[in-house]
Amino acid sequence: MRELARHPTGLVGATLLAIVLVAVLFGPLIAPYDPQQFHPAERLRGPSAEHWLGTDQFGRDILSRILHGARATIMFGLGATFAGVAAGTLIGVAAGVAGRWIDSAIMRLLDGLLAVPDLLFTLLIVTVLGGGTGHAMLAVAVAFTPGMARIARAAVLSVRTREFVQAAQARGESPVYVIGAEVLPNTMGPVIVEATIRVSFAIMLGATLGFLGLGAQPPSTEWGLMIAEARQFMFRNPWCVAAPGVAIAVAALGFNLFGDALRDILDPRGRQR
Amino acid sequence: MTNFDITRRGVVGGFAAVPLLAQGAAAQGTPRRGGTLKVSHSTSILTLNVLQNSGPAEYLALDMIYAGLTRLNRDMAPRPDLAVEWSGENAARTFTFKLRPNVKFHDGSTLTSQDVVATIEAILDPKTGSPARAVLNMIDKVVAVDPLTVRFELKSSFADLPVSLAHANARILPAALVKGPLQALNTRAIGTGPFKQETYDSARFMRLVRNPDFYVPGKPHLDAVELYLFPDLAAEAANFLSGAVDVMLDVQQADFKRIAAAPGVQGQRVPSGRFVNIVMRQDSKPFDDARVRQALAMAVDRGMLVDLVLDGLGRPAADNCISPGYRYLVDTPAPKYDPAAARRLLAEAGYPQGIKIPLICSNRPAIRSQVGVAVKQMAQPAGFDIDVQTIPHDTYLANVWRKGNFYIGYWGMQPTEDAAFTLLFTTDAAFADTAWNNKEFDDLVARGRATLDDAERRRLYTQAQQMMVRDRPSIIPFFQDILTANRTYVKGWTAHPLSRTFFTEDVWLERG
Amino acid sequence: MNAGYLARRLAAVVLVLLVVSMAVFAITMILPGNAAVMILGEYATEDQLKALAAELGLERPWHVQYLEWLGRLATGDWGMSMRMSQPVTLLIGDAFWRSAALAGAALVTVTVVAVPLGVLAGMRRGRGADLGIGLFAYMGTAIPEFVTATLLLVFLAAPGRQFFPAGGFVPPGEDAARFLYHIVLPALTLSLILTAHIVRQVRSEMSEVLASDYIRAAHLKGLSEATVIRRHALRNAMAPAVAVISLDVGYLLGGIIVVEEVFAWPGLGRLMIHALQNRDLPVIQAVTLVLAGVYALSNLVSDIVIAALDPRVRYA
Repeated sequence: MRELARHPTGLVGATLLAIVLVAVLFGPLIAPYDPQQFHPAERLRGPSAEHWLGTDQFGRDILSRILHGARATIMFGLGATFAGVAAGTLIGVAAGVAGRWIDSAIMRLLDGLLAVPDLLFTLLIVTVLGGGTGHAMLAVAVAFTPGMARIARAAVLSVRTREFVQAAQARGESPVYVIGAEVLPNTMGPVIVEATIRVSFAIMLGATLGFLGLGAQPPSTEWGLMIAEARQFMFRNPWCVAAPGVAIAVAALGFNLFGDALRDILDPRGRQR
Repeated sequence: MTNFDITRRGVVGGFAAVPLLAQGAAAQGTPRRGGTLKVSHSTSILTLNVLQNSGPAEYLALDMIYAGLTRLNRDMAPRPDLAVEWSGENAARTFTFKLRPNVKFHDGSTLTSQDVVATIEAILDPKTGSPARAVLNMIDKVVAVDPLTVRFELKSSFADLPVSLAHANARILPAALVKGPLQALNTRAIGTGPFKQETYDSARFMRLVRNPDFYVPGKPHLDAVELYLFPDLAAEAANFLSGAVDVMLDVQQADFKRIAAAPGVQGQRVPSGRFVNIVMRQDSKPFDDARVRQALAMAVDRGMLVDLVLDGLGRPAADNCISPGYRYLVDTPAPKYDPAAARRLLAEAGYPQGIKIPLICSNRPAIRSQVGVAVKQMAQPAGFDIDVQTIPHDTYLANVWRKGNFYIGYWGMQPTEDAAFTLLFTTDAAFADTAWNNKEFDDLVARGRATLDDAERRRLYTQAQQMMVRDRPSIIPFFQDILTANRTYVKGWTAHPLSRTFFTEDVWLERG
Repeated sequence: MNAGYLARRLAAVVLVLLVVSMAVFAITMILPGNAAVMILGEYATEDQLKALAAELGLERPWHVQYLEWLGRLATGDWGMSMRMSQPVTLLIGDAFWRSAALAGAALVTVTVVAVPLGVLAGMRRGRGADLGIGLFAYMGTAIPEFVTATLLLVFLAAPGRQFFPAGGFVPPGEDAARFLYHIVLPALTLSLILTAHIVRQVRSEMSEVLASDYIRAAHLKGLSEATVIRRHALRNAMAPAVAVISLDVGYLLGGIIVVEEVFAWPGLGRLMIHALQNRDLPVIQAVTLVLAGVYALSNLVSDIVIAALDPRVRYA
C-alpha cells in the first residue's frame, strides 16, 4: 500500500478503479432514472439539468444507462479474465511441473494458438456459438488461456529451481504439497500482474464484440453496445457515443495503470539503477 | 359486374396511384447525355445470378442489366417491357405474350421466345431455388408459339400473371446460359437491360456501362454507373455528404432528415408496405387464446413506434398486411394504445398476474431489436413482461423462424394483395409461420385469385382483411417508407415502393 | 545465426499453422446454424437446403472433411467462397495486398512517430515532455479501435470539416494520390494503440539505458550527447522496441478487422467479417490461416532483427 502511494501512475489507476468500483457496486442504486425508461419527448438531447449526460434515441437517460452498464461491462472483463487465468494457470503449471515431453507438446499447442490474434480468436468462437454476453465471455476466456498459460509456465520454471522448492522435495513432501504450498504462491505475482492488465483488454474486447453485434445484445446497457446503437445518431447527439467511450477508456486505463504499478511493486528484481 | 380487361391496357390487381413524396423535386428539364453515376450501398453484391439473388444492392445492379417481360411502374401496374402486348383467354387460364422484336442481349444474340421458355422453366424448377417460383408456380406449361410469341398455360385461373412476370427474379436470360451451369451466372451477367457489366469486384465495387443496343431509342442517358460498397453506415453517410458519390441507395431513418437537409442534396421518401411484424404463433399457449393476442395489440403504441423507431418516416398500421396504396385496401382502424384495457383482457384470459414471455429478435436488420425493446417498454404497464433476446441471424433462421412462438419478422412489400396474403397468412403460404390455418381465409384468397370480376374481388378481399384484423395472427405496427437520397444534379432518380425497379435508363446528370 | 536455426524456426512456423488449421477447422465444424440456411436465406425450401448441404459435403464425417481440405490447401486449391462464388485464392489475393498496404502505412507511421517520441520521453524523464507523452501513451492503450475510428470520422471526416475522406478505397494503380488520401484515417486509427505501446517501451528502455554505466562511461570519454544517443543508447533500446513491434503485429492483425469494417477498406479484415456473418467456411478458414501465418513469420523476422541488433542475444 505504501509503495502504491509512492507510485504516481499507480495512484491514478487506483483512483480510476475506485470510481469504476463505485459504479459497479452502487450504479443501479444511484442512477436517477430507470435505464430502460423511454422519455420520448426528450430524445436525443444534450446534457441538461434533468439529464446530466443527455438522452439517447429512445429518450433514455444516458447517465443512468452508463451507471447500470458498469456492471455488465466490468463483470464481463473480470469474469472472462478470471476464467482465462484459472484455465491458463492450470495448464501452465501442469506444463511447468510435468515431464519434458508433455511440456513440449503443450508448448507447441500454445504456440499455435498464440499465433491467432485475440480478436480473431474470439470472433471465431462467438460466430460458432452465437453472440450474447455468455458466449462472448467464454470466447475471451479461451483466447486468453494460451497467453496466461505461457506466463504461468515461465513463472513455474523459474521457481522450480529455487531452494525452498528443492528443500521441500528433499524433505519428501508430496508433489501436490510442493505445487500447492511452494510453487503456486510464488508464481502468483506475475500472474496477478498480467491478469490485471488483461482485464483492461477483456473490457475492450467485450466492447468491440458488443460494437460488432456479437457480444452483449439489446436491451443490455453494456458500454460497447451503447456505442454501437448510438453510432447512427452520432452527429445528432455526440454524447450518446462520447459518454460510453470515455467510460470504457476510464475503466481500461484504470486496470492498465494499476496493473503496471503492481508489476513495479511486486517484481522483486526491480530495475537496475 | 365488371369483367377485367386483361389486355395490355388493363390493370389487373393494380394499384391506385401511389403519390411520390419527393422532397424538393424540381422540374426535370431536357436530359443530357453522358456522365457516370456513382451510387453507394451498404449491403454487398454477392452474386449476379438474377434467378437467385436477394440482396437490396443486387436488385439495383441486376435491374440495370436485365429486363423482364413486364415491369411494374411506379403505380404498381404492369407495363410492357420485353413483351409489347399480352392477352388472356379461357378465364385467365391461358395467356399469350407478344415479344418485342430485334432486342439484343449483351453478347449480341437476339431475344426470342426460346429464351423466355428456358428462363421460365428454370424458375419453375425447384432445384434453381428462385424466389420468383412462389409467384409463378401456377404455370403448368410455357410454349414458344413462334419466335416472338409465348403462350402460358396455367393450372388454375390467375388474372395477375402479368404482375407476377414483373418479379425482380423473373428476368429473361439467354437460353444457352440458362441451360448451362448456373454457377457461371454468379459472376457474369448477360441481359437485355440498359447497362452492361464491365467490372465486378464483390468486395467493393461494380461498374456498368451503357448498352449501345438498348431497345429504347435515346436511352440510357448515362455513360456508366458505378456502385460502391460501404458496409459501415456512418462512413457511407459521411461519404455521400462529402460529394464523393451521387446517390445513396438506402438511407437509415436516423440519418434521413439530416441528410435531406444538407445543401445540394435531395432526399426522397416513398411510402411503402414494408413492415416489421410480431409473430404470435397460435398452436400453443399463450397465443392460442385470441384475447391474449388482442391484449398485446392494445399494448402497442403504434404512433410512438413510428416516432421512435422510424423517426417519423412511416405510417402506423393496424395488423392488416395490406397498406395504403393497394387497390383493394379496406380501412381497418388500429386499436388504441390502452394498457389498462389490455391488462383487464389478459386477466379475463386467465392471466391476472400478467404474462412473462421471451421475444426473439434476429440481429439483422437492427430494426427488429429496436422494435422489440420499444414494445417491451410499452407493453409493461399492460402486464406483459417481455424478455427481449437478440440472437444472430443464422441461429434465428435455423432455430426460431417458423418454429418459435413469439418473434419479430421483417418483410418487404408485395406487388399484389394476393401475393401479400399468400406470402405469410394462408395455410399453405410460402412462409406461413403463425399457424393461423384458417380455412375460411384460405378460401377467400383462393377465390379472389381466380375471379375476374372486380367487384367480386373487392368483396372477397374486404372480408379477408377484416378477418385478419379480427383474428390478428400477427401484429403489424407500422409500414416503413423507402428512403433514398441523391445530389440535386441527378435527375430521374426515384424510389419505388417495392424497391425492385429503378428506371436507371431515365437518369441523367445535369452538370457542366 | 545459421541455416540450421532458420530451418528449425521455419519448421516451427509450419507446425504452428498446422495447429491453427486444426483449431479453426474444429471450431468452424460445430456451426449450429447450417451454412446452407445462411447462404440460401429465409426464402429457401427444405429441398433446396438439402441439395446445397449435399453439394457442399456438409454431411460427411469431420475427419474426412479435414484431411481432404488439408490436402487441397497444400496443392493450392483453397476452394470457392460459399457466398461469393469466387475462388478463395482470388479473394484473398486482392484483399491481402490492400491490408498489407494499410498495415505497412500504420507501421511506418508508428516507427516514425513512436520511436522519436519514446526517445524524447526517455531523455526527459520526469519532465513536462515526458509526462505529456506518457499521458498520451496511456490513453492510447485504453481506447478500443472502434472508438478511435468513430472519433476520427466525427472530427476529421464530417461534412463541412472534410479533411479526409470518410472511408473507401481507390486502387493505387488508378490514382496514387487518392489512394494515399484514403489510407490516412484508417492507418492513423491503427497506429494509435501501437504508438502508445511502443512509446512506453522505448521510453522505459531509453531511460534505463541512459542511466546505465555503459552510457556514463561514454559520457566520461567526452562524447557528445548526440553521439552517445545515436551510437550507443538507441541501439540498445531498439531491441526491445522491435520485440514490442512484433508482438503488436498480432494486435495490428486484430485491429485491421474493425478498422477495415468502419472505413470500408476492402482488405482481409473486411473479408473476414463478411465471411463470419455469412458462415463462409472456406474464407473463414483461409483468412485465419493467412493471418496466423503472417504473425508467425513476423515473429521470426523480428527475432532475427533483434539478434542482429543486440549482439548479446544469440539463439542456440
